[in-house]
Amino acid sequence: MITLHKYVLTAVALAFLITSCKKDDPATPDPAPVPAVSNTTLLIEHHIDDVPLTYDTLRYTNAMGHMFSVTRLEYYLSEITLLGTNGTQDLVLPGPYYINGTAGNRFDLGTLPAGEYAGATALLGLTAAMNQTDSLPNTTENINMAWPVPMGGGYHFMKFEGHFLDNGTSNGYAMHIGRNENLPVCTMPEPFTVASGGEVVLRFNLNQVFREPNVYDLSTGNYSMGSMMLMGQLRDNCANAFDIGYRP
Amino acid sequence: MKYPALLLLILLASCTRKNMEELGPEAHLTTPFEIEPPHYFPVLDIPANNPLTEEGIELGRRLYYDPILSTNGPLAGRSCSSCHDQVTSFSVPTEGTAVLPHVNLAWSQNFLWTGKVNGGLEDVMRFEVNEFFQVDVSVLQAHAVYPGLFERAFGDATITNEAVAKALAQWFRRLVSTDSKFDRYLQHTEMLTDQELSGMMIYLSETGDCFHCHGIPLLTDNAFHNIGLDASFTGADQGRFLITGNPTDLGAFKAPTLRNIALTAPYMHDGRFATLEEVVEHYNSGVNPSPSLDPIMTKPGQITQLLLGPQQKADLVAFLETFTDDAFITDPELGSPF
Ligand code: HEC
Ligand code: HEC
Repeated sequence: MITLHKYVLTAVALAFLITSCKKDDPATPDPAPVPAVSNTTLLIEHHIDDVPLTYDTLRYTNAMGHMFSVTRLEYYLSEITLLGTNGTQDLVLPGPYYINGTAGNRFDLGTLPAGEYAGATALLGLTAAMNQTDSLPNTTENINMAWPVPMGGGYHFMKFEGHFLDNGTSNGYAMHIGRNENLPVCTMPEPFTVASGGEVVLRFNLNQVFREPNVYDLSTGNYSMGSMMLMGQLRDNCANAFDIGYRP
Repeated sequence: MKYPALLLLILLASCTRKNMEELGPEAHLTTPFEIEPPHYFPVLDIPANNPLTEEGIELGRRLYYDPILSTNGPLAGRSCSSCHDQVTSFSVPTEGTAVLPHVNLAWSQNFLWTGKVNGGLEDVMRFEVNEFFQVDVSVLQAHAVYPGLFERAFGDATITNEAVAKALAQWFRRLVSTDSKFDRYLQHTEMLTDQELSGMMIYLSETGDCFHCHGIPLLTDNAFHNIGLDASFTGADQGRFLITGNPTDLGAFKAPTLRNIALTAPYMHDGRFATLEEVVEHYNSGVNPSPSLDPIMTKPGQITQLLLGPQQKADLVAFLETFTDDAFITDPELGSPF
């Protein structure tokens, strides 16, 4: 919130300064004011391909062919950057956002510059600067995301847990990602237009985490936390797991 | 005689000025009470309509220790403290359903083993007052001192169930434990032994993997898990399933805090383990798979064992013993006012 408002304010102040400097020069016309849209929200949604996520029995199938369920989904999103086009500039949303699959995950964005955007990028997790023990406020959520100091400190970027069927037996999986080397950088190349007040919607397709470039095998990768190899696979798979759109 | 009393009044008034200003001229005089836990504790959410005051805490404390609270109810003759004794972290050894301790519940959102009550302390106190004790407020109202104490705490001598719940909630917020040996280690004022440090490494890594559900500093994640005590579930052992009806909650119980865990044997919701060694052995080799087993209980390679050696198990127990807070269990301010 604060960062965004600061951003907009700075932009306005800068625009003001620039225009006032240019006033003496009769040859340059005043730049058109950037229209802004108020009452915007950020909404994070979770899907398994086309089906909205429900916490339920084994009902989804992943790329490896394992039936699976989801019992926990918690993660951070930070440095969400709306990519500007000719008319708009890159805009970094405040954050980090703590996301829980059981929550509403709606965040007030206030006023956004209107116009066309080329898509977005985001970190599924925390920047190296934030990923240090005690760097986030001690909310109960953040505390439960802590990555213990003996394992390197900082925070879990993501906890994605549930059950899967392996040769007829139901078993648990816990795909946890942490440590700076494993930070997923997500790209969302979908262009969108911010017009009237509405929602910037980020959609996380959880099945993508199992799909590409690595077909993730839960029977050998049921527990990722101690394995840089497994966390690296998950990092790469998360890169294309989000898409973005705007709902007026 | 008149003058010292006046002085006291002025002093009192100056202490309580803040509350007066906030609540307006109609407000009664109360003394704000601050809880200042170490920096690594989460922020305390205190509802605006029940600010912590010395008067409220003192009233809650008295109600907690007074068997009058159960008069005419199903637990007549008992006080909260009959089952929640300070020396054992406000719990007591029992047969059947284990008594949960009252420690650091100010940070809790899920109460009772099955999470039957969610929300804040006021919510669970409403349950305790209205359903468990079925408090008869007319008894308190007729008492010689209680109406005056409620007046002092809440500005109203009329005693309601809601006021009783609020006073108890304030008392529960006061039951904060932050001075275990492990806290002093975190604050760099005391060192752990080599054995305790070794146990800490097991606890805080995948070797023992305790931190996922009993993380620092609350030593609970406030969530529900089936830790594989049984392979199939009947009766009370169905746990959270009895509340939600969701098959994935079969056998799941609230992860209790491990603060003062060395003092609160026997262990688990039904007190099935007598010692911490037995608890550790459960995690090490006794986990029963079932479809609702918490995912965290399945370790790399799809095994449900930790494969700790005898020394590692002893080290882990030694570390669990550093969660004992002697100051908390001996603090006279937390003891009976009678
Ligand atoms: C007869 C014994 C007994 C008495 C008396 C008693 N309790 Fe308890 N208390 C228990 C037991 C047993 C549990 C665990 C029960 C469960 O979870 O189903 C418990 C649990 C609790 C919890 C939940 C703690 C947690 O971690 O979720 C609270 C809060 C509580 N008691 C408050 C009180 C208050 C307040 C009183 C007095 C009004 C009181 N108790 C009196 C036996 C008792
Ligand atoms: C998946 C979450 C989870 C993990 C991992 C976990 N616990 Fe627990 N723990 C629980 C739950 C839930 C209970 C209560 C279970 C019950 O009573 O049915 C519990 C109970 C306990 C108790 C008894 C508490 C009491 O008041 O009776 C102790 C002691 C304990 N755990 C220690 C540990 C240790 C040591 C480890 C690591 C080896 C560990 N736990 C790992 C969730 C977990």
